[in-house]
Amino acid sequence: MTTILLILIVLLAAYTLSSTDLLHGVIALSAISLLSAILFYILQAPDVAITEAAVGAGVSTVIFVWAIRHSQRKDDNHG
Amino acid sequence: MGKRKAWGTILQASLAIGAMGAVLLPIFLCQTPWPTVARDYLVEHGQHESGAINLVSAIYLGYRAFDTLGETIVLLVAVIGTMGLLSRVESMVNAVGDDDNTIQTVSAFSLRGEKRSSHVLRTHLLEVVTGKIGPIVLLFGFYVMLYGHLSPGGGFQGGVIIASGIVFLALGNQQDNTSALSKSSILGGIESVSFLLFIIVAISGIFFGKGFFGNPLADSAYPVGFIVLLNSIIGLKVGASIGFMCIAMMGGHD
Repeated sequence: MTTILLILIVLLAAYTLSSTDLLHGVIALSAISLLSAILFYILQAPDVAITEAAVGAGVSTVIFVWAIRHSQRKDDNHG
Repeated sequence: MGKRKAWGTILQASLAIGAMGAVLLPIFLCQTPWPTVARDYLVEHGQHESGAINLVSAIYLGYRAFDTLGETIVLLVAVIGTMGLLSRVESMVNAVGDDDNTIQTVSAFSLRGEKRSSHVLRTHLLEVVTGKIGPIVLLFGFYVMLYGHLSPGGGFQGGVIIASGIVFLALGNQQDNTSALSKSSILGGIESVSFLLFIIVAISGIFFGKGFFGNPLADSAYPVGFIVLLNSIIGLKVGASIGFMCIAMMGGHD
């Protein structure tokens, strides 16, 4: 279970780095936070899991989405 | 061009993995046993001395509250920086011109009453769902905050959940009713007062001969009261400041 979660986290992290649409990257990042929260819970650290779920998946996603709303959606070079 | 770029990516990835290995390898190769004195002491005496059943809370507020003071100061500085940036953006917008288009791009989820009806992102669905779910989230945040000494959670976690509840309430307001919790002056007031209270509680231990961040209730029957108090203050401070920041970013600050 832990291994599956870790592999998924690495895959999502690679996707976040390589995705051209910033919004997709942010959603993948919030999925990473959610998976890490599950991982922390499995590893018997419920306090850290609550923090990760609330901060990583909640507040930081709001802040990233706000930042993306205020920037240009498309990159000039790649259309 | 494409091939060179691919090689560059592979080079960057291998460099990153190599650097990580250089940092982590000595830890794996190290033969010295980990220091266990503090760990054993805390496992033995932590729950008894602080009165908290949740050992994590007992350690980070009963023994390491100084770290929490640093964290709250970091949060305060982050909020001040955000407000500074946002006020710059708003003054630039006002300088460019006051037409509706510019302002809409700046405050995407505009909370101000007069802009609301024209807004694409603020649908009725959003208003109804966030308005109904907001109080429940707020209540759950207070539960996590106040029961931090018994169950997983604590001031910081509860505070972030309270901040989500505040944002939900601000988004879910009907046309003319505004909750006092989404006013930036009240949130700022809560934040400043709870920071002051935190400092007062921190130095209160000195008058009882327990030192900075010492527990003044340590000799009484309920030493856990200190942790509950610190949890509530930290929760209010974190909730107010993060909620304040999010509401200001959505264009609700005056």
